[in-house]
Amino acid sequence: MFSAPDSYPIDLPTFHSEINLPYTLTPGRAAGTFLAEVKNRRIVASRFASGQVVAPAQDFSSTGGEEPEAFVEAPHTGVLTAFTRVDGNVIGFIRLDGCDNDFPHRILADLGDLSIGQRVEAEWDDSVEQSVLAIKGFKPAPDAPVGTVQPLATTEEPLGVIPYAMKLDYEHAYGPYYGRMFDEIRENGRFMGVRSPGSDVALLPPREIDDVTHNRTGTWKACADTGTIRGCSIINMEVYGQTRKVPYVYAEIVLDGASTRMIHVIEIDSLEEAKEKIKPGTRVRAVWTDGERKGRVSDIERFEVIEG
Amino acid sequence: MGRHVGIVGVGQTHHARRRTDVSQAGLVREAVDRALADAKLSMDDIDTVVVATGPVLFAAVNQPEKWVVDAIGAQGKSVVRLTSGGGAGFAGALAGYYQVAGGFSERTLVVAYDKLSEGQLQYSISTLYDPFWGREFAVGIMGFSAAYWRARMDVLGHTEEAAAMVAAKNRKNAIANPYAHVKKEVSVDDVLNSKPLCWPIKLLDVPPISDGAAAIVLSSEKMAHHSTSRPAWIRGIAYCCEADNAPERSLMLSEPLAIASRQVYRAAGITNPRRQFDVVEVQEPYSCFELNYYESLGLCPPGQAAELVASGATQLDGDIPVNPSGGCMGANPIGAVGVIRLIEAATQVMGKNETHQIKDAKTALVQSGGGWANLRGCAVLSA
Repeated sequence: MFSAPDSYPIDLPTFHSEINLPYTLTPGRAAGTFLAEVKNRRIVASRFASGQVVAPAQDFSSTGGEEPEAFVEAPHTGVLTAFTRVDGNVIGFIRLDGCDNDFPHRILADLGDLSIGQRVEAEWDDSVEQSVLAIKGFKPAPDAPVGTVQPLATTEEPLGVIPYAMKLDYEHAYGPYYGRMFDEIRENGRFMGVRSPGSDVALLPPREIDDVTHNRTGTWKACADTGTIRGCSIINMEVYGQTRKVPYVYAEIVLDGASTRMIHVIEIDSLEEAKEKIKPGTRVRAVWTDGERKGRVSDIERFEVIEG
Repeated sequence: MGRHVGIVGVGQTHHARRRTDVSQAGLVREAVDRALADAKLSMDDIDTVVVATGPVLFAAVNQPEKWVVDAIGAQGKSVVRLTSGGGAGFAGALAGYYQVAGGFSERTLVVAYDKLSEGQLQYSISTLYDPFWGREFAVGIMGFSAAYWRARMDVLGHTEEAAAMVAAKNRKNAIANPYAHVKKEVSVDDVLNSKPLCWPIKLLDVPPISDGAAAIVLSSEKMAHHSTSRPAWIRGIAYCCEADNAPERSLMLSEPLAIASRQVYRAAGITNPRRQFDVVEVQEPYSCFELNYYESLGLCPPGQAAELVASGATQLDGDIPVNPSGGCMGANPIGAVGVIRLIEAATQVMGKNETHQIKDAKTALVQSGGGWANLRGCAVLSA
């Protein structure tokens, strides 16, 4: 395999990519009830047949998978069983009075003022609902009396859905083959692949090992920015994350001089017209962006059909 | 060769567009309870557990097996989590099969699920594309699948009408399936006239988005009799893979499926699939996939899939019924689908399908996979 000399630089620019996703998560009955009840300043816990009490409430016992016998109300006081500091915030485990598990949460105190086994008490934040953060955190309360677990006659309806979002940032390393390809796109506005062993057609994107023969690939070769459609579909539905207006064509294109396909888009005026005009075998050419090239596939803004 | 492995218990949830009454773990619990009850076993009888789901981004829970283990009472057991896109459930079953066949477990529980109502399905699938090369133009799996179908249309005659016949057949079959949640008969014309989403794929060529879980108990021959006198024996099972953008790969057939079916047919002694199988269950997330499977699995020669579906042979009362359960058209909790197809085939050869039993079914073929053609597997089950 490719072995770089020791002098080869290892700290090279990366390719930034982002994934942004919204979710509607389902907490289930127990966690849903806990989250619905925080506005009433109640900490809902599960009591299992074994006598174990777990807060916040859980649908299944962590010892045998049993379902809880009842939801109960846990007290707002307990003892600190572990703590640490992360990004300047103190977090810890709290064993609420009468409960059998450790509840992770924020600790509202300086690290130096804390000790294992000390009494703590919940501080509520009335501006927050439907979240474990309705409890702002737990603060030291040396004189807080020991609370008891209380029965709960009625509870709010459990929340069915919790909105959530993830934004993930990545810095991907190009490696020598992708690195050269994207440098060539940015600097020279051309797509370069590497030749398959014993052949003049290029693998695009370039790679070190030929997929079919498993031999080392050959020399670099510039592909044209014209090519032929192998497969295509007409995108007519709006989906999250889409950057083009529908309808448009999603096409798998083999550039002249290459043996592998690239994915790109072709803009169209109408779906019916595109059905007739754009099909496997149709010849297309790249339309490059007007602005500065960034060294990405999207430096080609779109493809267009070569008429005639 | 390893030891004989049989499916001795099955369970699935009543799949739905959205279940807000249970968490992901609660959904899994329902399927596991049903499979254990069906196998007349409790979790104490299970040696190892495989948890299979689609990609983490589908529902934003990383390492869901840690959550699931508590919910099914499997604390302290050997548990592995497996994911392989749309074929996750099937790949999970293969992992479980290896454990029992290899003698490392007498009974293995395989549970597979996805709770697709929680995330952005097509966008999540787009993240499976190469971030450098293609992701920015990806339209989930649908854009890709439709493009391949378009290529096959010209060469193999996989017409819109033929795919519409598949959609109409499977949607009709789903009506009798108590676990399906889309139960509406549609005509071939309804499918053809439905809204193009990624043309040639149209609305009624597309399965629903579902929340659901499915579980099977795999057993060694030694222990199988505790659960049933008629297990569904796995006579062969394989799951093969290829890269996305290799050169010289045909858009016309799925090479991994062709390789997998050759291996499985050899192991199971299948020389004439069209005649030897009594029933077939395939994972057809879009109707056009099923046409490809007819050819890749050898139910007909390449280019004759349209003719096969038009002949009625793959209907419930045909000589080789395909998807009597309704397939993905009735419910499509992606990660679970491979196990759901195994369950449907197992109940057929065990002779205990409650609502759509194929008379005297003894040998069944199951296909499952992820991606358009890259991850493909199949299995042969018989009584």
